[in-house]
Amino acid sequence: MFDRILVISVFFVASCGLAYELIAGALSSYLLGDSVMQFSTVIGCYLFAMGVGAHISRYIRDEDVLTRFVEVELAIGFIGGISAALLFLAFAWLAAPFRALLYVLVFAIGALIGMEIPLVMRALHARQAQFADLVSRVLTFDYLGALAVALLFPMLLAPHLGLARSGFLFGMLNVAVAFWTILAFGTQVQRPRGKVLRAAIIFAILCAGFLASDRLVYWGERGMYGDEIVHAITTPYQRLVITRWHDDLRLYINGNLQFSSRDEHRYHEALVHPALESLPWARNALILGGGDGLALREILRYPNIKQVTLVDLDPQMTRLFSSSQPLVELNHDSFHDPRVRLINADAARWIETAQEDFDVAFVDFPDPSTFALGKLYSVPFYAMLKKRIAEHGLVVVQATSPFFAPHAYWCIEATLREAGFNTFPYHTYVPSFGEWGFILAGNENQFVPPKHYRLPMRYLNAAVSEEMFSFPPDMQRIEVEPNHLNSQALVRYFDEDWHRAIR
Amino acid sequence: MRRRDFLISATALAGAGGGLFAYGQRIAGSAAYPGRELGHWLRDAASLPTASETLETDVLIAGSGVAGLTAAWALKKGGVNEVLTVPGPEPHGNAAGGSDGGLRFPTGAHYLPLPSLESRHVREMLFEFGILQKDPYAPRPTYDERYLIHAPAERVLYAGAWQEGYLPTDGVSVDERAQHTRFFDIVDFYSNARGSDGKRAFAVPLEASSKEQRFLDLDKTSFRAWLVGQELEAPTLLWYLDYCCRDDYGRHLDEISAWAGLHYFCSRDGEAANAEKGAVLTWPEGLCALTERLERGAGGRRNWLEGSIARLSVGESGVEALAVAVRDGIPKTTRIKARYAVAAMPLYVLQHVFDGLSGYGFTRQRDLPRYAPWLVANFLMHAFPEEQPGAPLSWDNVVYREPGMGYVVSTHQDIRMSRPERTAFTAYYALSDAEPEETRRWLDRASGDELIHAASRDLRLAYGWRLPLCVERVAITVRGHAMAVPEPGFLSAAGRLALRDSQGPLYFAHSDLSGLSVFEEAAWWGYRAAAQIVARRA
Repeated sequence: MFDRILVISVFFVASCGLAYELIAGALSSYLLGDSVMQFSTVIGCYLFAMGVGAHISRYIRDEDVLTRFVEVELAIGFIGGISAALLFLAFAWLAAPFRALLYVLVFAIGALIGMEIPLVMRALHARQAQFADLVSRVLTFDYLGALAVALLFPMLLAPHLGLARSGFLFGMLNVAVAFWTILAFGTQVQRPRGKVLRAAIIFAILCAGFLASDRLVYWGERGMYGDEIVHAITTPYQRLVITRWHDDLRLYINGNLQFSSRDEHRYHEALVHPALESLPWARNALILGGGDGLALREILRYPNIKQVTLVDLDPQMTRLFSSSQPLVELNHDSFHDPRVRLINADAARWIETAQEDFDVAFVDFPDPSTFALGKLYSVPFYAMLKKRIAEHGLVVVQATSPFFAPHAYWCIEATLREAGFNTFPYHTYVPSFGEWGFILAGNENQFVPPKHYRLPMRYLNAAVSEEMFSFPPDMQRIEVEPNHLNSQALVRYFDEDWHRAIR
Repeated sequence: MRRRDFLISATALAGAGGGLFAYGQRIAGSAAYPGRELGHWLRDAASLPTASETLETDVLIAGSGVAGLTAAWALKKGGVNEVLTVPGPEPHGNAAGGSDGGLRFPTGAHYLPLPSLESRHVREMLFEFGILQKDPYAPRPTYDERYLIHAPAERVLYAGAWQEGYLPTDGVSVDERAQHTRFFDIVDFYSNARGSDGKRAFAVPLEASSKEQRFLDLDKTSFRAWLVGQELEAPTLLWYLDYCCRDDYGRHLDEISAWAGLHYFCSRDGEAANAEKGAVLTWPEGLCALTERLERGAGGRRNWLEGSIARLSVGESGVEALAVAVRDGIPKTTRIKARYAVAAMPLYVLQHVFDGLSGYGFTRQRDLPRYAPWLVANFLMHAFPEEQPGAPLSWDNVVYREPGMGYVVSTHQDIRMSRPERTAFTAYYALSDAEPEETRRWLDRASGDELIHAASRDLRLAYGWRLPLCVERVAITVRGHAMAVPEPGFLSAAGRLALRDSQGPLYFAHSDLSGLSVFEEAAWWGYRAAAQIVARRA
């Protein structure tokens, strides 16, 4: 009976052992990249540490075997259980010693795990089990446990529980094995009461960690972004994080900065007003993207605008920006204006079937960093858009940076021309982005930058507007291919440009 | 714990784990066998029930594949309105498509190369359908970009990583790559070569190719023998060309005529003003997009008589036919009298339907091609599985050195911000390793699981155990006689040439007349039959 308990412990112990190894490997390749390197070094370090642990186990006296086994289990449960969360926080808050901490943890866990099997074997051997039989049983369950986790980890645990939670879960399993051993072998374990207490404390810590791992991830991200996190949500489409530092609110989508409240007025005034100041008769406006409601805020300032249709993919994003207090203050509660019609749909799919006509359209899509996003800057997409624009209407497209990604910027411009628009490129300086570019497009062959704005502006005036539409010598037009879907030149341009621009 | 207990519990544990894993790894699915039952019944039926009614029509079209639908469309354009189509067991034939909850996918062929200058018949229909938008007969016309294949077009899984293109180049020796270049130089040479008759060496339609002997001599050897003669034996190149032969002709390159092998590369030089050279046209539902437009252009199914033509005969006053339709297991026949008829069906069916074939000098032994069997498996996916390193998911995804032909992503041409919630991966599999007859016998008795296993090999290699977690179900279309195989000598099969020259009232229209199972050839014969009928009636 007691033998069986020990052998079954081996199954769980082995599964936990492999789990920590997989978690460390997965976490380090996730955070540092180069998964072959990370897995190789983690496994190497771990196996070596197991050897060290096995060696140390000889110094344990025969009568202490079960006691030490319980202690080893508790130690593994604690260190292994918190390892993933600890590593994640360490990466976020103190990037430098992350690798050192990783290998120290892996070594410690490995050494402890290396002691387990020798201790169990000695405990069983002391109960006079046949040696050949014993070795075979222990090792069989050892490998079975490994198999179970090797299958569960990638299919169930990593995708559904996440790395931090999985770590806590396996820690609890180790502590449970310790409990179980104390209960079964009470008399042979020294000072069982103290150990039960210790086990209970560790178990409680791990439980708390398991329940609070969302909170831990939040703290981790806060470390990465450097500022206090006001909101963080994962939607089916993206990860939205909003941070605050003094009066500066920032939105990050999948880790990329979308705006800073310090200077977003520059971006959105430049996006909206050159077009709308020139169209005093415009009534019906369209925004594709722009779920933060900031371009919307600027458009709604015009009393001549009777309806604004905003098409954004992510309902959770628009809900956040129409309900969260600081964000609503920022966009002047623009989503609740009765002139706004909000459509949560894939803008590219929506425009294909849309029927109505618009006097002005603002296209504020993510940068063309993938082939899928590149299609939103293609000749057929702009051709579909063109069909929805009134004869004298205008389109403004967010077009990446003409300074950092000049080929991409001029490719978007060439694409709009290929789709039959006349184009009027312009650019401005947004401190948190750098030099940024837009393209104004329409059917008419002339556009005069506004000499005067009817509405008060924080950033724009006649001089700034004039300068926006003139390109200095280091940002001159480059002759590039338009973005046809067949070759998607834009995605390659964008990729090459940014590779040159950032290290 | 005793040894016995231990063994039992260990086995049970391992068994339960393994069972759970195996259960999660199962892929559910179904198989369709278009035309199989009816075809076998017609082949074996000694006599048919007598017809209960007789219909008269100006033109009868027997078949609704690419050839039949093109004929119907062209007749309508030529002002012939009294046309009756008897569609046969599978409307749209090898260009058929399927759908599931708004998702469309091909169950047959899925792409069309940009038509060359000679393929005026294809350009005409593409222009009418708005797919070709400007200058339909110009060297580089403008196409609707939604249908031009979007980048990234294709990739190959080679040595554990995906790379762009079909022919691996990363990790391939300089010497092998030199052979790749040499092969494409030869292709360039033949693409531009013209015979003394002024025609191109290789053209689409095939009938427009030069008849000069030095080109026709290529039909005397196999593609492999020709390649060996050219000292082109780099493993990657041979694999690629073998892949192309299986993809287009259903068999390995040692069974394919060198003329046909080169025709694939040298005839398709169509260009576009708004696409790269070598671009192709595609739709989520494959070529069904074209056959549906043809069908609509010909007036829809109002002039269809459900069923198949079981007997054809040529009489004094035209063509007599017997159509059969099986309803609730009971065959019902209709007699049809037509002034003209187009037999738009494959030769392996026609030989059982039309007794008069031998009158054209057609002999089964010499003129009936072998037919390659295929599986088209549509994996309906509720998620996109995680990818191996390298090039991103493309339209066509091929695994190096696998018997499958890779898989095509049906939603690739979508223009959208986020990935669709569902998609279909269409896996093609030319069963080219055993003799076609033997394979058909296997297909006949293979269970659904066996078919799924065979059809999912490439996808399993690409995604491993993650695949089943993303698959809702798989719909397999079994095509026992998917395509005629252009074996050495196929150009000179006299009986087939004679069918091309029929002076009516029965005309023949099928890609089998060319011997190459491609859209342009099938459309060509349908187009030509219609033109002949229009001319005769005038």
